[in-house]
Amino acid sequence: MPKVTVFLCDCFGEIGKVIDLESIRKRFNADPAVDGVTITESLCLASDVERALSAIHDRGIGKVLIGACSPYGRMEFVRLGLVKKGAELRHVRTVDLREGCAWIHRKDPEGAFRKAASQLDMELALLQNMQDSKDITVRLQQETLVIGAGPAGLSAACGLARLGFRVHLVERGSAPGGLLNIISQAYPGGESGSEKIGLRLEEVSRNHHISFYGKTRVVSVKGQAGDFKVTLAGPEGKTGLRVGAIVLATGARILFPQGLHGYGKLKNVITQMEMERQFSTGKPACRTAVFIQCVGARNIDRPYCSTICCPLSLKNAMRIIDEIPGAKAYVLHRDIMTPGSILEAYYRKALEKGVQFIRFDAARPPGVLGEGQVGEVQVFDAISGVTRTIETDLVVLSTPLIADPESAALARMLEIPVDKYGFFAEVYPNHPVETLNDGIFICGTARWPVSSDQAIAQGEAAAMKAASFLGKKMVSALAMSRMPDQKVGHASVNSDACTGCGNCMAVCPYGACRLQRMGNRSVSRVIKIRCKACGNCVSVCPNGAMQMPELNDRAVCQMIRRAFREVR
Amino acid sequence: MSADSNNVKILVFACRWCGLFGADAAGRQRIELPVSFRVIPVECAGYVEPDLVIRAFASGVTGVAVLGCHVGGCRFNDANHPALKRLELLKTLLDTTGIGGNRLLLGFGTTHEWHQYVETILGFYRELEGLPSMGAWVPVKQ
Repeated sequence: MPKVTVFLCDCFGEIGKVIDLESIRKRFNADPAVDGVTITESLCLASDVERALSAIHDRGIGKVLIGACSPYGRMEFVRLGLVKKGAELRHVRTVDLREGCAWIHRKDPEGAFRKAASQLDMELALLQNMQDSKDITVRLQQETLVIGAGPAGLSAACGLARLGFRVHLVERGSAPGGLLNIISQAYPGGESGSEKIGLRLEEVSRNHHISFYGKTRVVSVKGQAGDFKVTLAGPEGKTGLRVGAIVLATGARILFPQGLHGYGKLKNVITQMEMERQFSTGKPACRTAVFIQCVGARNIDRPYCSTICCPLSLKNAMRIIDEIPGAKAYVLHRDIMTPGSILEAYYRKALEKGVQFIRFDAARPPGVLGEGQVGEVQVFDAISGVTRTIETDLVVLSTPLIADPESAALARMLEIPVDKYGFFAEVYPNHPVETLNDGIFICGTARWPVSSDQAIAQGEAAAMKAASFLGKKMVSALAMSRMPDQKVGHASVNSDACTGCGNCMAVCPYGACRLQRMGNRSVSRVIKIRCKACGNCVSVCPNGAMQMPELNDRAVCQMIRRAFREVR
Repeated sequence: MSADSNNVKILVFACRWCGLFGADAAGRQRIELPVSFRVIPVECAGYVEPDLVIRAFASGVTGVAVLGCHVGGCRFNDANHPALKRLELLKTLLDTTGIGGNRLLLGFGTTHEWHQYVETILGFYRELEGLPSMGAWVPVKQ
C-alpha cells in the first residue's frame, strides 16, 4: 500500500497560531501509514508548491494529504496543480484546517488541535482504505442526429455540418420549416417564413454532410452518450444509425381554442395562425379587427407566457391598418410582452400607427357577442374602469404554444424528463441546452416557447455543445461530469453479492443502474458513462453489493470511528 | 466548550454543494463555534446511508447532522429527495429504538449561508447538551 505524504500549510501563521502544527507533525510522523509530514509556510506560494511536488516525486507519486484552507479557497488550485504534475485526483485529499478549524475555534486552541488531528486522521483513514474505480474510455461516434427540421433543428444541423460532423436530420412532416411554414410574415423584420429559413434550407440541400429524412420518425433509441443506437422508420422502411449526440428540436403545437370566446360557434372568430394563412393567400376581409391576447395562456393550467403572441398580434394589427384602407385594429391584452429594444420599438411603432390597446383584467375576460357571425366585443377596460363595446367583424385569438403530444413518448425513449407542461426540461438553469442524459441536447420551442430568432440561436448553441462534446473523440467515464475535475470514481457492483432487487435502479437519478440477466438471476450493472457518483445507489443497497470504491463503507466506518478518537 | 466536558460529539455529513459552502463561509466570517463537531464531506447527501448514521451512534457519537441541498435543488438531479425520505424514516426508527429522532438533524437547504450554518450547528449543539451521552467509546476489534 503506498504511503501517504502529508503537507500542512501554515498560511502565514493563520493556521499555526491557533493549531499547534508541530505537535501534529510529530503525531503523524509516528503513524506507520505516513511517509513524512512537511509544514510549509503557504501552499499558495509557487515555491512551496514546487517543493511539495519535488517531495512527492522523490517518494514516488503516491497518496497526498493536505491540511490547508477550504476547498473553495486556494486549495482546489493546489490540488489540481498537483494533478497536472502527475498525481491522481482521487489520491489527493484535503482537510479544511483554516476556515473549518483555526478560524472558528480561535478561543479553544486545545480543542482546535484535537479537531485538526481528528480530521486529518479521518482523511488518512480514507486514503488508506480507498480503492480505485476502474475507469473506461469510449470512442465517440462522430455522427449526429437532429430530430425536427424547424428553425432550431435546421440551424443545429447546419452548425454541426459546417464543423464537419455527419448529420442525420429527421423530420416527421414531408418538408422542413416547422411552424415557420405557416407564418406569412415574420416579426420584426417583415420577411416571410420561408425567406427566413431559406438560407439554411439551401445549405441542407447543398451540404453533403447532411442527410435529410422526410416523413420519418424515431422509433427507438438505445445506448448512452457517445454511442446511441437509433432506429428510424420512414417511407423506405427502417434505418439503423449509430450517433454520438442527439439534438432534439421537435418544436411545439399551437393551442386550439375550442369553445373559448365563441371559437367554433361564431364565424369570423379565428386564431392567429388562421390569420397568417389568410394573409399568405390574400388579405382578410374586415373593417375592424379585434385581437384578444392570452387566450388559454397565463391561467392556472398554463401559467407561462408564450412569448410569440404579443409580437405576432402587433405585426398583424399593423398589417391590417396598412393593407386595408380605413380599417381599425384593437388589441385587448393583459400585459403587452415585448422584451428587448427591438420589440419595444415595434410596440411604439404600433401605437403610432393607431393600433388601440385596451387592457383587460384576467378575472373579467372580454365577451364576444353575435349570432352566427361576430357582431361586437364587450370588454371591461381595466384602466379607465368602463365597459367598452367594440363593433367588429373579425376576432383573432392569440393562443399559446403548447408541448407537442409526441414529446412525452420521445422523452421516455431518450430518458430525459419533461417539465410540468410537457416541454423538455433542461438539466440545470445554467446549462440551458443540456439534458439529464448526456449527449442529448434540446433547443427551440421543444424546450420552451421562443421566437424563431431565438430558436435559431438555440439551435446553434445546441450544435456547439454537441460539437464540443464529440470533438473530444475519446472520453473517459471519469470525465463525464458537469463539474470537470471533480468526479473521482463511479459506483461499482459486486455481482456475487447483488440480489437483483432493483433498488439502485429505482433511485438512480441518471438511469445509470440497470438490471441484467446473469445465468438464472438478475444482477445490477452500472453504466459508467452515465454515473455521476452521487452515491444514492450505495445507500439503498440492502447488502452492500453496490459500493463507491473511493468512498467505500470500510473507509467511511474507519472515518466515523476515528472522528472522536482520543488524541494523544 | 470542549468536547469532553459535556460529551457532545456531532458528526456532520456535509454535501459539498451546500453544507460545505456554509461551513466555508462561516469560517471566513470567523464565527466562534464549539469544537465538538467533525465534518465528513460527501458529494451528495444521497450518499449518507442510514446504516452509517446508526454506526455513528453505535460508536458513541451523540448527534449526526446531514446537510444537503434543498429538495429540488440537488446538483445530482433529484438525488437528495430519496435521501431525505430515507433519513426521515430513520428518524422514526431512532424514536422507536429509544435513541431519539432528535439526535439526527436533517438540514436540507438550510445551511447554504454562513448564518444558517452557524445557527444550525449551534442549535443542534445546545439541543444535544441537554441529552445524555451515548456511552463510552469502545473500540471494536476487527
